[in-house]
Amino acid sequence: MSSESKNHERGRVPIRRLPTGVPGLDEILAGGLPEYSFNIVAGNPGGGKTTLAHQIMFANATPERPALYFTVLGEPAIKMLRYQQQFSFFDMTKLDGAIRFINLSHVVMEKDLGAVLDVIVKEVENSNAGMVFVDSFRTMLRSAQSDGSGMELPDFIQRLALHLTSWQVTSFLIGEYSEVEFRDNPVFTVADGLLWLNQSAERNSIVRKMQVIKMRGQNTVPGMHTFRITDDGVQTFPRTLGLTASSSVIKGGRRLATGVPGFDALLNGGVPEGDSMLLAGPSGSGKSMLASQFAAEGLCHGEPAVIVIFEELPKDYVRRAGKLGLDFVTPQEAGTLKIIYIRPLDLSVDETVHEVIAAVNDLGAKRVVLDSLVGFEMALAPEFRHEFRESLYRMIAALTRTGVTVVSTVEVQENFTSMGLSNYAISFLTDDIVRLRYVSIDGQMRKMLIVVKMRGGPHSIDMHEYTITDRGVVIGKPLRGYRGLTSGIPETWSWEARDQRAEHSTARARDQSDEEPPQGKAE
Amino acid sequence: MSLKRGEPLLSMQALAQQLLTLERRHQNAFDDPADEAARVFERLRDALARFAGLSGFTSLMRRALALARADDPSLRQLSVRADGSLEGLEQLSSDAVLAIIAQFLGLLVTFVGEPLMLRFVREAWPDASLDDQHGTRD
Repeated sequence: MSSESKNHERGRVPIRRLPTGVPGLDEILAGGLPEYSFNIVAGNPGGGKTTLAHQIMFANATPERPALYFTVLGEPAIKMLRYQQQFSFFDMTKLDGAIRFINLSHVVMEKDLGAVLDVIVKEVENSNAGMVFVDSFRTMLRSAQSDGSGMELPDFIQRLALHLTSWQVTSFLIGEYSEVEFRDNPVFTVADGLLWLNQSAERNSIVRKMQVIKMRGQNTVPGMHTFRITDDGVQTFPRTLGLTASSSVIKGGRRLATGVPGFDALLNGGVPEGDSMLLAGPSGSGKSMLASQFAAEGLCHGEPAVIVIFEELPKDYVRRAGKLGLDFVTPQEAGTLKIIYIRPLDLSVDETVHEVIAAVNDLGAKRVVLDSLVGFEMALAPEFRHEFRESLYRMIAALTRTGVTVVSTVEVQENFTSMGLSNYAISFLTDDIVRLRYVSIDGQMRKMLIVVKMRGGPHSIDMHEYTITDRGVVIGKPLRGYRGLTSGIPETWSWEARDQRAEHSTARARDQSDEEPPQGKAE
Repeated sequence: MSLKRGEPLLSMQALAQQLLTLERRHQNAFDDPADEAARVFERLRDALARFAGLSGFTSLMRRALALARADDPSLRQLSVRADGSLEGLEQLSSDAVLAIIAQFLGLLVTFVGEPLMLRFVREAWPDASLDDQHGTRD
């Protein structure tokens, strides 16, 4: 039941929420803008205030309840229209009657606040306006205060807000303010809603954030939400994106085959559906290959997949998979696979989550590969890197809530004294962890794999050797008869050493004859 | 309930009629019929001004008049004074008066909801026994 219906049942006045026309913002505002509210859109120059206001205006204005856009000194209306019409939301036909621009510069310059109020009131009453915007409100107040005559500022604000609300107008004052100015300012006291838009620069990257500082009567999503301005206008990325959804998938209800011979057996049948699995290992250990095989296996079984890559270009990724016999071209063309290449350096986590979840929903994806988390961190704007763990938590939580099964890779720096799981202490984020590492045995650098953790149930506790072939990862036998395998420099156990060496020699000979690629074949 | 512009105000009209009838009971032989309407607005103003201030009442009255004018052009001769009282009331038909009161009550429902609107009305007519079936809408 909607909050409007609940209020109606409880005899409380229902407040209609107006859609903002800004993707993501209605979610942040808990449904939209309260009708007849008196709002302020504030922020520093270039923060996107005017674009946001236009987007809201074009989404709601009608000929019956038109929007009035009062411009005051700041940006001349002709210049504003020249640039704003570049956005896709700009609908030229609405300028005929649904939207009217009115220049108040001369009133502000030649008269006082009382005259300004009179003009606004007159225009509102004559037009039956449903929305009013004043841009830039700050400029108007500066000018009005400087002449020292006429109506006092608090009185002006009070009367403007009262009149606009009584006339069933949803209004927006747009102004350039700094955060410190919010205190003890009559404008902000009177306002029902206060949106703060901010852009900051850090190490050559620009990050835009939005905060709903105040919105009377609504349980808005707290905190700073990143947003981007594209050809479509402002797009916000709520911090709760994906975290409020509930999945119909029962975690671990079935096991998903990985497409890697022998690996499913170690996982007691495959990756538990709905889990997040981390493949941790050093460079060249086959993490990406294992993850690619997981995605490809799903595609073979009619399960759409999304692969998110941060370092390699999609065409290179597809080409490399092709060398392993994994066809990523056909499913891409068929619309069952989407490879998302995240552009680097100025990315927010919420934006990434938004893009990936949108792709998951579009495709009805069952499997998601994130390759790799190191690349993900590098792609983030510097401002977000210090909160990488929290960001990752939000991303993985949001993804698994959609019901998809996530396999992520993370590079581990091998040190041959211990077996760390990653450089980020992120293992708590994942349900399952598989560690890949190099081990030095008999003068050879061999590869070993172990399932470290599976929340969904039992799994193999053996450390298995594996090889990388032209058919992908191939799991070999358990490495028995050694101690110190996790250090990477194991020693043989004497009581089994002889048997183990003999067994190993036989196994190696067999692997060489029917599986091994030429020496030096890399991932 | 959310009253939108153009939506019938039948129950608000019924309540408005009830308020006018209440005032008519106090009418004496020398009263002009417009006086009962003036008294209704005055009671509403007294009750609302305590809550929303005189300027709040005046704003709402101006809006109510503008909404009523859309259906009845004869209301153009009417204007709202700075103190919220109506100028030109004596020349109005009873239907026109009714329409303004109904719009005013409808605006109150829109902004604060029906229970609070009824509370204000009861404050304005404390001795009256209001018929709730006229003041509520399905």
